[in-house]
Amino acid sequence: MASADSDTRPGEPEAIPQAVKIIIAGGFGVGKTTMVASVSEITPLSTEEVMTEAGYGIDDTEGVEEKTTTTVALDFGRITVSPDVVLYLFGTPGQNRFWFMWDELAEGALGAVVLADTRRLETCFHAVDFFERRGVPFAVAVNRFEGATDYETEEVRKALDVAPEVPILLADARDRGSCRDVLVALVTHVIRGRSPALSG
Amino acid sequence: MSHEGRRAAARHERGIADGAPVDQAGPDRTEERFLRPFAVAAGDPGGPASGGDLAPLDLLTLVVAARTPGRNEWLRPECGTILRHALRARTVVELSAEVNLPVGQVRAMVARMIADGSLQRCGPSRPLARKDILHAVLVGLRSL
Ligand SMILES: Nc1nc2c(ncn2[C@@H]2O[C@H](COP(=O)(O)OP(=O)(O)OP(=O)(O)O)[C@@H](O)[C@H]2O)c(=O)[nH]1
Ligand SMILES: [Mg+2]
Repeated sequence: MASADSDTRPGEPEAIPQAVKIIIAGGFGVGKTTMVASVSEITPLSTEEVMTEAGYGIDDTEGVEEKTTTTVALDFGRITVSPDVVLYLFGTPGQNRFWFMWDELAEGALGAVVLADTRRLETCFHAVDFFERRGVPFAVAVNRFEGATDYETEEVRKALDVAPEVPILLADARDRGSCRDVLVALVTHVIRGRSPALSG
Repeated sequence: MSHEGRRAAARHERGIADGAPVDQAGPDRTEERFLRPFAVAAGDPGGPASGGDLAPLDLLTLVVAARTPGRNEWLRPECGTILRHALRARTVVELSAEVNLPVGQVRAMVARMIADGSLQRCGPSRPLARKDILHAVLVGLRSL
């Protein structure tokens, strides 16, 4: 439209980009929020989901019985990758009991990054299991925290028991370039997985 | 124990420790413990016969205001807030962060507002094939 009027009226045609997402997963405190913040073009936004824990009088219409509610923070960032495509990055809730949110997050995701902390590698087993089972392509980013032994990526691959084609990179979630490399490796992996003939 | 067995063994231990069958350990098992109070209302306000807009709203569903905010908004100020934020197309999750309400609640409100004609869903202006999307993402990420 030639109009220079910056006021957008409801229903007025505007270029609406395609919204796609990548999931940043991993155990508690492994650097998910940090990674989202490192690459997001906006200050990461945070939203909440409110949960009522079942079995505490939720059927009680008088509402006198105790009801446990809990909130889960969900943080996300955004990267405008082209005029037509906006990529959202979602950090998963760290605590395992919020697994059910992962289903929705994983639905339709291009892929996932599993952040691993070698000091407690087992905290990412859940995430690896989850994405394998759902058939969501993923890459593993090994965060190097102070005091952690440096492992070769192939040692991590063995310990995690993931397929040879799954990208595993040493990374620093605080570093934008490092996060970029992880995401590029993931998307390259996704593209190869879709068209094996073009890989090589 | 070999490295290879570690993840499977951990899975097994979790199953035993939680007193649940091994093959049900992990993500799915805990789902029933929590209810999302707004999820049900968000589903389908008009019932299956209401026609149109029946696909569930997900976090990245795009909606845009279908009318000017202002009329009757004093009854439901949050709806006015949502309308003002949706003057340009917005994803459900962005709306939730912008109006500072839980995403489940916003999802329910958005579903109602679609049903009453205040909001409408919108798709991308230029829908792309998945391979073109992946290509755009790769190019965009490389230039970060
Ligand atoms: N050395 C080092 N520290 C990091 C790295 N990534 C994150 N940290 C630090 O680790 C702490 C936790 O990071 P967060 O990004 O909050 O972790 P999280 O996974 O979002 O945590 P939860 O959401 O609570 O599960 C912060 O103090 C970060 O500064 C990294 O790559 N290397
Ligand atoms: Mg976090």
